[in-house]
Amino acid sequence: MSERIGITVTVNGTRYEREVEPRLLLVQLIREELRLTGTHIGCDTSYCGACTILLDGEPVKSCTMLAVQADGGEVLTVEGLEKDGKLHPLQEAFSEHHGLQCGYCTPGMLMSAYYLLEQNPDPSNAEIRKGIQGNLCRCTGYKNIFAAISDAAAKMQTGS
Amino acid sequence: MTESAIVGQWTAAPGAEEIVTGKARYCPDIQLPGLLCGKLLYSPHARARIRKLDVRKARNMPGVFAVITHADIPGENSYLYAEPDQPLLVVDEVRFQGDAVAAVAAVDERTADAALAAIEVEYQELPGIFDPLEAMQPGADQVVQGEDNVMMSQMYRAGDVEAAIASADVVIENTYRTQWAEQAFLEMEGGVGLVDDEGGITVYSSCQAPHRDRMQIARALAMPESMVRVITPYIGGAFGAKDEAHVQIHAGLLAHAAQRPVHLIRERRESMLTHVKRHPMIIDYTTAATKEGKLLAVKARVIADAGPYTNSTHEVLNKCGEFIGGPYKVENVEVEKIGVRTNNPITGAFRGFGAPQAAFVYESQMDDLARKLGMDPLAIRLLNGVETGTKMYTGVVIREGTAMKASLNKAAEMIEWEKRDQVERRPARHLRRGFGMATILKGSGLGRGLADHAGVVLEMHRDGSVVLQSGAADMGQGIVTVMAQLAAERLGIGMSSVRVVRADTAKSPDAGASCASRQAMVSGNAVLEAADTIRDTLLTMAAGKTKIARDRLDLKAGRLTVDGEPHELTVKDLALRAGIWGYPLHAESLVHFEYPTDVPDVTYRFSQEVFQFCTQIAQVLVDCETGQVTVERLIAVHDAGKMINPGGVYGQIEGGIAQGIGYALTEELIVKEGHTQNPSLENYVIPMAFDIPELEMEVLEIPEPLGAPLGAKGIAESPIIPTAPAIRNAIYDAIDKPLYELPMTAERVLPVPDAGSIRH
Repeated sequence: MSERIGITVTVNGTRYEREVEPRLLLVQLIREELRLTGTHIGCDTSYCGACTILLDGEPVKSCTMLAVQADGGEVLTVEGLEKDGKLHPLQEAFSEHHGLQCGYCTPGMLMSAYYLLEQNPDPSNAEIRKGIQGNLCRCTGYKNIFAAISDAAAKMQTGS
Repeated sequence: MTESAIVGQWTAAPGAEEIVTGKARYCPDIQLPGLLCGKLLYSPHARARIRKLDVRKARNMPGVFAVITHADIPGENSYLYAEPDQPLLVVDEVRFQGDAVAAVAAVDERTADAALAAIEVEYQELPGIFDPLEAMQPGADQVVQGEDNVMMSQMYRAGDVEAAIASADVVIENTYRTQWAEQAFLEMEGGVGLVDDEGGITVYSSCQAPHRDRMQIARALAMPESMVRVITPYIGGAFGAKDEAHVQIHAGLLAHAAQRPVHLIRERRESMLTHVKRHPMIIDYTTAATKEGKLLAVKARVIADAGPYTNSTHEVLNKCGEFIGGPYKVENVEVEKIGVRTNNPITGAFRGFGAPQAAFVYESQMDDLARKLGMDPLAIRLLNGVETGTKMYTGVVIREGTAMKASLNKAAEMIEWEKRDQVERRPARHLRRGFGMATILKGSGLGRGLADHAGVVLEMHRDGSVVLQSGAADMGQGIVTVMAQLAAERLGIGMSSVRVVRADTAKSPDAGASCASRQAMVSGNAVLEAADTIRDTLLTMAAGKTKIARDRLDLKAGRLTVDGEPHELTVKDLALRAGIWGYPLHAESLVHFEYPTDVPDVTYRFSQEVFQFCTQIAQVLVDCETGQVTVERLIAVHDAGKMINPGGVYGQIEGGIAQGIGYALTEELIVKEGHTQNPSLENYVIPMAFDIPELEMEVLEIPEPLGAPLGAKGIAESPIIPTAPAIRNAIYDAIDKPLYELPMTAERVLPVPDAGSIRH
């Protein structure tokens, strides 16, 4: 058993202190230790984006980062998007616009979209495509995802 | 019937909120106390004899709770989709790279990996059989000793093909090749097995056919099916590859051996190496026609590389042959279907079931024919297209075929087909633009003579809420939404009042597999039938209570209505009274898909008789220097019969087109000597957001008369089918080079004829 390292990570606003093995992946910390299973694993090679989370505001494929690298960081996962019992506009838009089918890629897609709208509140269609190019979806053909992100952006701008 | 409040409305899936909040539980997310990590030991070889298999060391390792080999399987050591010829754990010879030889369950992943490493296997590598054409030859080395490599060879003939070819003005003959394609669902195959309180086995399974899974798990465990329960959690896509069983049987075996819950999830690499792929096919195809462009005959020989085991090769080849003539009137058809065993990957179901390969061929051939005759691709398709009442060469009579030509005409109108030559064809010296179309048919339902049934149980509680139990697996295609909509519509309640229990064999009647674009039809009808029983009880009760004639009453928006006007009584009131007065608001139905009996001479076995017609037109840009093909626009016109959930219908079309673009241009599992070279999503390239062109879609709603709820027919498979040939024909139009092999990679697009003129 290898030596464990103490880390402190804030996930969705809650501070966690954990002793972890150096080899533990961030996605394993999130899923197995913290039991937040909304962050999915889809490819093991950082290609599909199902495991996308935000670390200190930047999107990260959590299957390709060690938990110890997140020490001192702030993590946002799909479970943290809902605020005060109210869904984030992106979450609502993905439901309404059928921006999901099997739903397995959805959490990662939402996190990339969330980051995109933080950076660019009014993205063009091309910017939306670029914003989620690291996230694979095999069911939807992406079209309804583009529509959902556009709609959420519009709603967030008008504050409705 | 009054205008519908729910059916036909864009409706969010009942599980959407769970999905967007991360609460939806897929197999990998299931947590249970004491859950062990299960793993399988896969063969490193495409073909090898097992000299020695010793698991003693692994068994004695601390933290290891079970290690099983073929010798430890209590019942049958085989999968059973069609033929029981694929072992769950290999006995003496591995026959492809995805064969498993042992399974372990350990306290955690690391211990499980260590246990796998401690299993001693000595392989004697054998020369593999990798070329189906060689494997077919008499005297070829046998993949399964004692059995012919030709696992299937069927000839189907209608009319007199040779005479028709002899009399034809024009005959076109080509050989086409298609690739191994990977379903690439985002959630890898998984199962969680546990021992229940009565000593039975429960398995959470990421699957398309929970009741068939239950049968397979029971026979492997030598347990009565009544002791086995299969539950489908959320399922992260399937596209055919989870129709056949994968690791859920092993999860049950390991749980039984360890007497503890076991989690067994494939890694992506394992997934890509092990499950069934779309069959690569070599298709020799001859088209004969008159000089006016009228089809006279089609002759095809289809050779499919099946891999070592049968899987669904018979079914896939059956469908490929059934549709080999396309949506055209052609009386003389001969198709030979040959499935060949090799030591390559196993093959089976993938959206479309052999129809995409057939369509690539017949629609490429149609454009070649049009060119040879100097005809317009649209005109030649309209000239030959089937219609309502057309008797196909299979003997099937098309009940509703308006959409064949309607979809062609609509798609042509949308892209302004006749004006396509006014579009800039050489936007730059090195770029060529082209337009291509493809129109197809694919059947919905399992086919004539097969057990195509589905049951549901529906119950309304005293508060008016409804629980619907169905064995139909929802892998994302949206059957749960469709069923909830149909129940809500018929009972006059909101979607939020209907809870659909995800398929669970302990609760849900068998609905068969979610495959063949069948569930919306067969489970849809079952829901309507059950809902109508409850509705009838409510309305009869309401008539008694209000003294208003039964035929003036209806249920809508949560209320009783009289002549369409809301009454003070709500559905909730009625449900409460029913509960108090002892009227059962419980209904079960079992619906069997009925094939018409007025066509006695259907000669093609298991023929489907409800057709998904659609047309797609692609506009592509080819870079003559790099060979890169960009799909700029894609027009899609599909007939859904009737849209129950438009969001779901459009979603199926968009997703199918994306998969079709991948199938056309980039997706290919590269297999050398039985070894897959690209078992990862990094180099098996599925379309990304940037690869999707502007999609312009139109859904026709021409009610289907045959076995379709409210006229709705299946839509799931057709969208992927025309995309590749439409793109192929567009490339041909752009660069004047016909391609006969998928995928149409840059290497195949190059060299571009007359590209010399672009050089400086």
